[in-house]
Amino acid sequence: SSPCSLILALAGAQALTPAHYLSLPDVARLQNLLSQQFTGLDSAYYSVVGLSKLGATIPDHEVRRICQFLKSQLDPMSIDSLFFAAETSQAISGCEIPVSNETRDILLAAVSEDSTMTQIHRAVSALSSLGLPLASQEVVGALTGRINKEDNVMAGGGVQGAWHYSTAARLSQQTELGGILEEIEDLTARLDDLGGIYLQFEEGLEATALFVTAAYSLSDHVDMEPPLKEDQVIQLVNSIFSKKSWDSLAEAFSVASAAAALSNNRFHVPVIVSALGPATVSHSQPTLQLLVTDVMSQPLALANVLVESAYSVASKSVILSHASFTLNDGVFELNFMSSRPASGYYQFAVAVTGDTRLVGNHVELKVKVSTEVVVNNMDLSVVDKDQSIGTKTTRVDYPSKGKSSFTADSHQNFAMAFQLVDVNTGVELTPHQTFVKLHNQKTGQEVVFVAEPDSKNLYKFELDIGERKSEFNSISGTYSLHLIVGDATLENPILWNVADVVLKFVDEEAPVAIQPKTLYVPKPEIQHLFREPEKKPPTVVSNTFTALILSPLLLLLILWLKLGANISNFSFTPSTILFHVGHAAMLGLMYVYWTHLNMFQTLKYLAIIGSVTFLAGNRMLAQIAVKRYVP
Amino acid sequence: MSNSVISVISRFLEEYTTTTPNKLKVVDSYLFYILLTGALQFLYCLLVGTFPFNSFLSGFISCVGAFILGVCLRIQINPQNKGDFLSISPERAFADFLFAHTVLHLVVMNFIG
Repeated sequence: SSPCSLILALAGAQALTPAHYLSLPDVARLQNLLSQQFTGLDSAYYSVVGLSKLGATIPDHEVRRICQFLKSQLDPMSIDSLFFAAETSQAISGCEIPVSNETRDILLAAVSEDSTMTQIHRAVSALSSLGLPLASQEVVGALTGRINKEDNVMAGGGVQGAWHYSTAARLSQQTELGGILEEIEDLTARLDDLGGIYLQFEEGLEATALFVTAAYSLSDHVDMEPPLKEDQVIQLVNSIFSKKSWDSLAEAFSVASAAAALSNNRFHVPVIVSALGPATVSHSQPTLQLLVTDVMSQPLALANVLVESAYSVASKSVILSHASFTLNDGVFELNFMSSRPASGYYQFAVAVTGDTRLVGNHVELKVKVSTEVVVNNMDLSVVDKDQSIGTKTTRVDYPSKGKSSFTADSHQNFAMAFQLVDVNTGVELTPHQTFVKLHNQKTGQEVVFVAEPDSKNLYKFELDIGERKSEFNSISGTYSLHLIVGDATLENPILWNVADVVLKFVDEEAPVAIQPKTLYVPKPEIQHLFREPEKKPPTVVSNTFTALILSPLLLLLILWLKLGANISNFSFTPSTILFHVGHAAMLGLMYVYWTHLNMFQTLKYLAIIGSVTFLAGNRMLAQIAVKRYVP
Repeated sequence: MSNSVISVISRFLEEYTTTTPNKLKVVDSYLFYILLTGALQFLYCLLVGTFPFNSFLSGFISCVGAFILGVCLRIQINPQNKGDFLSISPERAFADFLFAHTVLHLVVMNFIG
């Protein structure tokens, strides 16, 4: 809802203000939940006491029925039963629960450090509600003893604290309870801070709400302010009222109790400021209306609302300072238009005074001032590009349409000039949206341009027909010209058919009905083209050349024969044979390398064969050298 | 003009056939063979195309490398150059020739594809 969102927008603002509260529909929903049929004494207690906290009155015939129900369901031996019955009977008038001595004894016996905090609380409350005598010192002793026993108050800390304080609140005023009140500070430290906005116990909403109820109940009782800071109070409010539908009757009861405690205690009353309807003012509606309520949406009786300052968001100039709202039939009103604000957004700093208890009473609001716009001095003309022919300007008055249509071709520009003026103040406006739309009546095509204001806030629009022909798809024809004006602060957006314009383009394509762009149609399938193998020469050619290459070898053999090269000196020594064999093996290895092996394998084999060949060759060559050397 | 060229060539050939030892002629004919092979490979490349280029390169470089190594061998075993290669006997030159050829063949085989 808009008041909520306004307040939510302030989550980052300096002073924390409540983000959640019980609106009237929320209160109604809560009441509805609490009005269901009773299933037992506990549900009767939650419903009746909860409704009374929300301020609902219970009709007489209902009272009698409830009283009957209480009496019939009561188990005088059970502390819980006695508690529920006693408390409920207190909430409705004229219902007396019969009490016997036994009942009193049972209740008194429960007030000891051996009972749980819940039991102590229930026993003490029952005793108090039933009008039985209570020894306050004994109770304090039992409470302190109980706290000391549970030195690990980890689980259920919030609820324990709640019962502790509620019990203390039932005791006589003479009892020294200030110490217990100070303990609230310790328990507050155990609350989880969520984002600086929420503060709640780990155990959840119910524990937090019960804690708040009990804290204020005790502080009211001893008339001392609870050790809760303003920001903490607001964060607690946010946590408790953020949930709008409740899981159980007990949870709903806790929320109702907290709402009652926060609206009506002596120290802290969180205030909710919200605008009635949208926070907009205009000439027709010049008053800004605010609702100022407590967390239960009940109007605050003694409140003064004033605007500390109101400044324009755009120009930052302060329009209002220290102006009071007047209370009119439960709603705070201020005639903002009397300050003659220009249209736009304004930031209001509102303060609620009149009660020292108020918490979160400095609120920031964003208020919109809207107005109506009118188009003045709309001049249309067709200008020749070379400016040789004088321009003929036609004035068209809003909202009528130009009588004759304008014709323009690629050698000309079509020009528009106009002013946008605030109806009420006569001030020139520059709205966010000023568009010129040309709509081809035959093909349905629309082309939209933006009109820009110059330094004097006079709007000018020029259409260069030749340059823009691609936008029009070069389709000649009659186009209806519309002016579109819009803005968040305008109450009357304008769609005005100014005139008809006939455009003539030079190279015209055949008028094609505009089809929606075929973006989502399957595209033609791409066939993968593998790399074409390079064109090889025909086998004949390569075979020919292979033979050709081998022919010089033949020539070599012939030449050697002619020269008389021979191997007559070949000596069959082992090293010679080994050398030749090794050498042949190396050449063979080369071939095998080409066909099968990789470099590493080849090198490995080469090393082996090579070293053998080398040694043998060395020997062989030495022998040859010796033979040659004849001293 | 052409006369002198022809006479120079014929004189050269005559000198060559008479003064060059047989061993060198054997090496020369080997070199001539290598030259022819290389030239034919190049002709093929010009006529038919460079596909596959790596094979052409490998073959051509093999010819060039073999030619160079052959020239080196010829220089080293030429008796007229003995003064320049006192520590290198013809056998040693031949062994170097073989070793260098091993490396050349390794590279050529790697590249031939």
